[in-house]
Amino acid sequence: MKSLCSGLTRIALTAAFLGGFLGLPPPAQAAGKTLYLFNWQDYIGKGLLKKYEAHCGCKVVQTYYDSNAALAAKLKAGGDSQFDVVVPSSYYVPQLVHEGLIRKLDKKEIPNFRNLIARFKDPTYDPHDAHSMPYQWGTTGIGYLKTKVSNLPESWAVLFNPKLNPSYPFVLMAGSGRDTIGAACAYLGYGFTCNKKSQWIKAAKLVEKTEKRKNFTGFVDGDPVTGEIKKGTIAIGMTFNGQVAECYDDKSCLNTGYLLPKQGTEIWVDTMAVPTHAPDPKLAYDFINFILSAKAGAELSNFNLYGSPNAASEPMLVAAMKTPLVTPTSAQMKYLYFLPPLAGKKLQEFNAIWTAVRQH
Amino acid sequence: MSQHLAKPVRRALFAASMPVYLLLYAPLALIAVFSFAPAPGGVAASGFWYAELLHSPGVLAAFRRSLTLALGSSILGTVLGTLMGFGLSRFRTGAKGGFAAALPSLIIYTPIIMPSLVFGISELIFFNLVHRATGFLAAGLLTMGIAHVTFQAPYVALVVFARMAGLDPNLFEASHDLYADARQSFLHLTIPVIRPAIIGGFLLAFTLSIDDFTISYFTAGPGSTTLPIYIYSAVARKGIAPDINALATLMIATVIGIGLLQYVFTRHRERRPMPRVGD
Amino acid sequence: MSTLTEVPILRGTAERAERMARAFRLWITAGPGLGWIVVFLILPSAILLAIGFFSIGNYGNPRLPLTLEPFREVAGYSILGWSPANITTILRSLVQAVSAAGLTILLAYPVVFFITAQPIALRPLLLLFVVLPSWTNQVVRTYAWMELLGPGSGLSHLAQTIGFIPHHLGLLPGIFAMQVGLTYNYLPYMVVPLYAAAEKLDWTLVEAGRDLYASGTKLFWSAVFPQTIPGLLSGIILVAIPAFGDYVVPMLLGGGKSMMIGSLIAAQFLNTPNWPYGAALTIFMLIFTCGGLIVFRVMTKRLGGSEGTMM
Repeated sequence: MKSLCSGLTRIALTAAFLGGFLGLPPPAQAAGKTLYLFNWQDYIGKGLLKKYEAHCGCKVVQTYYDSNAALAAKLKAGGDSQFDVVVPSSYYVPQLVHEGLIRKLDKKEIPNFRNLIARFKDPTYDPHDAHSMPYQWGTTGIGYLKTKVSNLPESWAVLFNPKLNPSYPFVLMAGSGRDTIGAACAYLGYGFTCNKKSQWIKAAKLVEKTEKRKNFTGFVDGDPVTGEIKKGTIAIGMTFNGQVAECYDDKSCLNTGYLLPKQGTEIWVDTMAVPTHAPDPKLAYDFINFILSAKAGAELSNFNLYGSPNAASEPMLVAAMKTPLVTPTSAQMKYLYFLPPLAGKKLQEFNAIWTAVRQH
Repeated sequence: MSQHLAKPVRRALFAASMPVYLLLYAPLALIAVFSFAPAPGGVAASGFWYAELLHSPGVLAAFRRSLTLALGSSILGTVLGTLMGFGLSRFRTGAKGGFAAALPSLIIYTPIIMPSLVFGISELIFFNLVHRATGFLAAGLLTMGIAHVTFQAPYVALVVFARMAGLDPNLFEASHDLYADARQSFLHLTIPVIRPAIIGGFLLAFTLSIDDFTISYFTAGPGSTTLPIYIYSAVARKGIAPDINALATLMIATVIGIGLLQYVFTRHRERRPMPRVGD
Repeated sequence: MSTLTEVPILRGTAERAERMARAFRLWITAGPGLGWIVVFLILPSAILLAIGFFSIGNYGNPRLPLTLEPFREVAGYSILGWSPANITTILRSLVQAVSAAGLTILLAYPVVFFITAQPIALRPLLLLFVVLPSWTNQVVRTYAWMELLGPGSGLSHLAQTIGFIPHHLGLLPGIFAMQVGLTYNYLPYMVVPLYAAAEKLDWTLVEAGRDLYASGTKLFWSAVFPQTIPGLLSGIILVAIPAFGDYVVPMLLGGGKSMMIGSLIAAQFLNTPNWPYGAALTIFMLIFTCGGLIVFRVMTKRLGGSEGTMM
């Protein structure tokens, strides 16, 4: 046993020594400051990043995640002291706040806060804008291949009624499951933001029935769906408006349509937040303030073709930004809802239901 | 051994094997073909996607990180693994078949047997805890490197152990007379003799590091996106894409290159007569 | 090694000193590596397994008190009542892993004997060409099949014409694609141990059998096949265990339909957080893995096979 202990100390020393050699971390500590940005992939243009680097005299290192849960997992795994800015979706903000993973914002450091459109200030998911600043916003709807399916009603029936699409491949949304269950709820008449266990279970049953259809090909995240439709590998799927707007812009998916079901669907805001132990919160505030400036905000949205929460940016937005695809009409706005955040027993219930759905 | 099989049987074996070789390479070849797909608009020459890759800072950084990770972890993994393989073959004590003798083998086989998903999630949670408690070991290339060493060292140990087992034990007895202490004997006799195994082990460790995705994915941190993680995220987001085809082709070509290099190198080594005591 | 009580006291001390010296050298050489594995893998996995006994916190994190609730969930009990979904998932993973092993066996045998029938100088190269694809990254290898099996690919059209899949659909995603991916990814792990066994084949037995048995197939089953069993068993372990818990293949080729246990566990940490449940599933998966290993080890011993590369 003694030799085991001395063995362990030796290992610890070796590990410490060799770890230093192996390490090279934390990367790029060389000259100047570095902003560590944890973001969704392709969510900020190279040009804008370069402009920010010139503005702050720092380097931006970007890392990516593909789901809000993955973001939370990485923040818990030490990311809360490694990243300066993260970009969670609105319904995930309360959880990150509650778990102590993101910090209270010092709004004095973010004077461009005043540029925000009033509608995006003091949102329900983050009262008094205490912990997050809006980054982009958009809608979740149905993307479809016009050459295969046309004359579709603005309804979730497109996905859930087999008669409307008996043979072409279609998918539902993967990830946390909130959108897919919400869509099924809306189709059943419980509303997109359904919140009762009994409603979720009925919605889950509908999804399970849908899964059994021959032409259902899987659960896919929103971003890849547009690409799949464009290529013709699927005909219908749930996706985000900006994805479609982007490929309209380079004319690579003029065969694709996008609709917002009238039974109700999601409007979401992706936000900027600062992890609790961010290495350089000052720089983080500077970045957030930069993004909220009129020019940068416009460039961000012109690149992503997602809605801009920035009033000052409006005059600089390109024409594509002003289409109803990117900026829904006020009539459409009436049936767009924020997903209510879930926690505790409710979240467990929802997760159990969604896991069961996925296992069928 | 060829004389043991009748000609028709050998023909049949050939006919049955070629489709398997085809199966092994057809998907990889297809990626390579598609990587020369025309650029959007179809104006640029083929090879457009490769040029595109060269100008993408994200890809280049990911490539650099993959190399750093593979090289760094392989060096440490080879050192630890060689020492383990050598020590266990020379100094193992305890009754044969007893627990004390079996324990090191059990430990060494754990990383080999452990499903990589369990491996990755365990490390994610462990580094998370250590980081919360001490502030050290924040997720990143360092934690990825530690995880890689953990699965590389056992394989290197196995390779070195196999080589040691093939050596004449008298060799070590004789070295006792030649060199004063064990350290000298290790440095001047053992290392040169088992060098092919060490080099083979190192290359194996390197390819293991390049091959791994799952463990890297769970232990990665800020700015530690390696090529496989980059490719996975891109595929998860965009599905099949020509630039990813080009990137994958480069990776396949590199790995096949390294593999052939290793083959040539180890063959060259094996032609040397093995030193034997009493020759 | 004789016990201490049997030897004279003087020899005993000398032997003890000698043994201490060996133990010391063992710890100096093997200690760091073994310790590394203990600290950075065995300890972390013990922590993960321990999480399986915790309650679930507000956002899926583990919290006190200790409970067996996660194991009830593994057995299929949830807020929704009992469901056979977990059993189906585990069975499906088992079937896929076993089928992957079976398919690799079918593919590996001809290749292995084709290689052993070649001149000695050529064999390592032919073996290398089997192994080489497995050195590229698993993501790349799996991705390669997305193009081949996707809707609109030649293979998918072929499958549509023969009525294997409905029109407009592809071979991807789904169980078929996952099976192809698993088989492709793990084929080299079957070929290598089988080749090791085939190369050591005692052909005198085959020659002797040639006089006894009329047909080649009979000769194969009675004289060749039994000799390859140790390699076959190692191969099955090397293929079935990682295939059972694979993560990349269900993620890229499964399309999120019909989960395997690997994707189910990962989801408990990345999509619908429930760490204790994920950890309990992990325990279950490890029990399966170890159980499979023990069964095959016993079989290997029974059948008199050598332990191959076992240290």
